[in-house]
Amino acid sequence: MARILPQEDFLVRMQRDLKRALAGDADAVKWAMVIDLAKCIGCHACTLACVAENKLPPGVVYRPVMEEEIGRYPEVRRRFVPRPCLQCQNPPCVKVCPVTATFKNKQGITVVDYKRCIGCRYCLVACPYSARTSDFGEWYTKPTPDADGIIFGRKAAAKAYEAMPAAEYKKKWPQRGKGSPIGNARKCHFCLHRLAVGMLPACVTSCVGRSTFFGNRNDPESLVFELLASPRVYRLKEELGTRPSVYYLA
Amino acid sequence: MNTNWFRGLLALALIGLAFGVYGMYERLFFGLNPVAFGSYVPWGLWVAFYLFFLGLSAGAFLVTILTYVLNLKHFEGIAPLSAFVVLIALICEVQFILLDLGTMHRAFYQFFLTPSFSSLMTWMFVLFNAMLLIYAVKTFLLIRGGLIRRAGENKGPAAKIYALLSLGRRTYTEEMSRRDDRWVHILAWISLPVGLLFYGANGAFFAILMNRPIWNSAMTPLLFVVAALLSGGALVAFLTHVFRQKDPFNPEGVCREDRLCMDLGKVVLFLLAVFLVLEAMQFFVGYQTAKTDIVTSLDLMVKGQGARVFWVVHLLIGSLVPLALLIFGAHSPRAVSWACFLIFITFIAVRYNFVVSDLAVYKLEGLETAFVHSRLTTDYAPNLNEWMVSAWIISTGLIAFVLGIRYLPVLAGWNGGNAHEVR
Repeated sequence: MARILPQEDFLVRMQRDLKRALAGDADAVKWAMVIDLAKCIGCHACTLACVAENKLPPGVVYRPVMEEEIGRYPEVRRRFVPRPCLQCQNPPCVKVCPVTATFKNKQGITVVDYKRCIGCRYCLVACPYSARTSDFGEWYTKPTPDADGIIFGRKAAAKAYEAMPAAEYKKKWPQRGKGSPIGNARKCHFCLHRLAVGMLPACVTSCVGRSTFFGNRNDPESLVFELLASPRVYRLKEELGTRPSVYYLA
Repeated sequence: MNTNWFRGLLALALIGLAFGVYGMYERLFFGLNPVAFGSYVPWGLWVAFYLFFLGLSAGAFLVTILTYVLNLKHFEGIAPLSAFVVLIALICEVQFILLDLGTMHRAFYQFFLTPSFSSLMTWMFVLFNAMLLIYAVKTFLLIRGGLIRRAGENKGPAAKIYALLSLGRRTYTEEMSRRDDRWVHILAWISLPVGLLFYGANGAFFAILMNRPIWNSAMTPLLFVVAALLSGGALVAFLTHVFRQKDPFNPEGVCREDRLCMDLGKVVLFLLAVFLVLEAMQFFVGYQTAKTDIVTSLDLMVKGQGARVFWVVHLLIGSLVPLALLIFGAHSPRAVSWACFLIFITFIAVRYNFVVSDLAVYKLEGLETAFVHSRLTTDYAPNLNEWMVSAWIISTGLIAFVLGIRYLPVLAGWNGGNAHEVR
């Protein structure tokens, strides 16, 4: 009879990796993500966790999960490919920004300065992975009817969740509807605000199949460093020379 | 411009403003929320119109090349009109691109505070302002004599406005005329490299995007320069014919502007042929490479959502009919001006297809169903708001143009002689 060997949850190890990275030299840290496609079950929990964490409005998505159908019936299989921002080491989006509103931080994460972005969307067009979306000021609660004292309508629903400011980039943004990031380009930032307080990105902690790994790729003791040695490693559209920091295990 | 035309065009512009006012209200109070484009097709009708007006602004650039590079001095007479048209086109262009920005107000200071010179958009900003400055000064110098004369001829508020526009000068001497003429020449020479960079940079703006199969070609900047010269030249040729002044001694004969129009027609014919060859090469190379994304983009243009616009508006009405008119009606100013009208008016179709067809292809397989929302699709068709805002902007340009033609001495150089009126 098969025995299940005791094994430490990957999250525990990654949490330890994260603490070690935060305790060391910040400039030596290079964040990387590894996604094991063989373990992804296509539940979209990461997409939803990201939407909830960053209070993303309709039409803005940082981490969709793409579904590919391979083969022909009856030999058909499906593959799920989560696609966060790939945090390219040679990002096409950075060099096209006319006002340096988007740039790479010291840990290799491409960030957007919402207070600088003019909303030209050149970066959206330049990204080969369509990893950026523009905030057009949509509301999930827009079609919700309002009737004070009778139904729990739009205003109350929005106040309870949607209008609350997101915590992106470790800043206190004004209540939604009052300026940026409406009109700006938005993208995944590896949950910088969570990392700052020692928490893993929302997509990592919410991954049911434990297929998303995160850590400092410069740390030989980290899990991502170990995984990057796998012969299964590949990167999306490698031929473009963008050198993504998100790796996939085929 | 006669009174009937003036009133008619002004009424048309006012109807356009009335049609567009609600669109502008929505745009200014609700940002980009009312528009139809989204994150996968981030640029739509307004960027196409921006490129359209960018091309129209190249008319004066063409006239400058003809006059100073090819030394065809008789084209100097249409310099004030073409310079004025550039100003109008640039004003429309900047309105389109400003209204296309998600946070428009930041464009007024962020380019100065944190410019990034690795971005071609920054260079477009620099070159756009250089062009605006050059042509504003050039137009002023070309019409200054006329403004001073009109300030003296008129009374009341009109005289004050003309005096204000001529910066308070009361006399315009031969010496001032010569000096202005010298400066116009200098500005024309400066405008040559600046214009070439401006139109080329706009092409390079698209060409450098490696994930955009149709745009990502060294030919794109060249195509942009040719396209700009073609549409701008066609506009100037058309206007030269529209504002011709018949020879009083031979009203039925061919006047000076008609001859200029026919000469410009030959240049436009050459540019149209070059443009069509370049476009055909783009299709030939694209289909021969047989890369999925390139073929998909091209297919969208010729078989998909842009097919009618491509075959009927661009190729038939905007290319083949003008080609026939320019070849078989080369000696008829009316045929040439019709051909030029069809070329420049349908050029929006070329720009629209260029922008949208490349954007309307998903960059990753499965992206279309990964997260479903109307902003996350490549199905794009301009909505009423976009058309209303476009109508508003074009109407502002039309009003400025009509008022300028009517009240400013931009046709001063007509019927020979120096463009500068000397009092």
